[in-house]
Amino acid sequence: MTHPGFETLDPYLDGELAAVDARELEAHLAQCAECARFRDGRLELRAAIAAGVPAFQAPDLLRQRVRAALKTAAPARAPYRLSLRSMWRPLALAASLAVVAIGSWNLSLRYAAGEALADDIFASHVRSLMPGHLTDVLSSDQHTVKPWFNGRLDFSPPVYDFAGLGYPLLGGRLDYVDGRTVAALAYGRRQHLINVFLWPATRGPRNAPRFRDRQGYHLLHWTTPDYTYWVVSDLGLAELHDFAHMVEQGDSAAGVTSPR
Amino acid sequence: MESSEQARFETVVLPHLDAAYTLARYLTRNAHDAEDVVQDACLRALKYFGGFRGEGGTSARAWLLAIVRNTAYSRRGRGRVDAVTTEFDETQHSGAAADEHPEGMLLQEDAKETLGRALDRLAPEFREVIVLRELEGLSYKEISEVAGVPVGTVMSRLSRARTRLQEALRTEERS
Repeated sequence: MTHPGFETLDPYLDGELAAVDARELEAHLAQCAECARFRDGRLELRAAIAAGVPAFQAPDLLRQRVRAALKTAAPARAPYRLSLRSMWRPLALAASLAVVAIGSWNLSLRYAAGEALADDIFASHVRSLMPGHLTDVLSSDQHTVKPWFNGRLDFSPPVYDFAGLGYPLLGGRLDYVDGRTVAALAYGRRQHLINVFLWPATRGPRNAPRFRDRQGYHLLHWTTPDYTYWVVSDLGLAELHDFAHMVEQGDSAAGVTSPR
Repeated sequence: MESSEQARFETVVLPHLDAAYTLARYLTRNAHDAEDVVQDACLRALKYFGGFRGEGGTSARAWLLAIVRNTAYSRRGRGRVDAVTTEFDETQHSGAAADEHPEGMLLQEDAKETLGRALDRLAPEFREVIVLRELEGLSYKEISEVAGVPVGTVMSRLSRARTRLQEALRTEERS
């Protein structure tokens, strides 16, 4: 490939390049000393910022001030207008309400099931944080983690290492979720830990990530045609979304280019 | 306002108060001003909250941070307008000296770390992209929403800001 120029290296290091482009760039980095030096400089800077430039916590007093100010502020709201120009509208409204009622009953059942599963996943995540529970197979390389699952699971989970993007694969383990044995992959991000749970999907369609919160931890859940994914971490939600995107891309890109 | 709307505001927006305060701290470079900015911004946010439904994938965090940013800039604008009203021209301001902000030089003694000092010396347009990316972990698209500039501009600012900070670190090593 041709020399990509430094301007693609920042987006690459920020996880903003598509997986295919990132792989091309990684290949280039392996043989271009100049680009590798540039990358190392950026990584050093990132470490220096993480060590020397703090994020702040809003002082409690500010929190109280804001809440108090919000309570007293009563902005004028646009009055709610309902026009009843013709007879069919109330009828249509009633009909659609009935549909909504039936739909939301179904939804609420599915929602409750999803919440129970989220509790399950969250409990597994917390367990994994206890000493010695994180990984059964240690690695920073997908080539040792993926084969380890052979014979331990009735499926071969897609395993990718995103070390080049700042999310190194730490290892894998078996876990038990939703009445079945599942693959759990542990990734690192600075001092944060990310758990990825996955197992073969029972429903077909691809669903965009949904987000839940459990005691300060973020949970992202999505399905691909092949797998159900849950991702849990105390990492910031934006970065967790970036990470989920990588996992998703890794999966869909696997059909196009073979994993290295 | 209806209590449900107030409750929605508290669950959707207030979790991002730390992020709001962090951005305000780095934009104002002062704890007291940062608190005022955040409080003002929250009141503004409440005012416009009825219109916020997260359309187009705008996260509540990016939405609040955009308001914090504008609040900080308009307060600064009372004393000085250079960073606020003039649209930053990437081609004209390409010299390294232009990235430096004169006021930052006076505040050097307040910052303890080299990097913190170097960050303070950056013009706010460059400082904010570093804070939003490195400290808040926002995506390029979110940063472009917060700063109100195209993603391409976010990329070039981020790249230039990083290079400036690296130079500052290297200078420190040499001295």
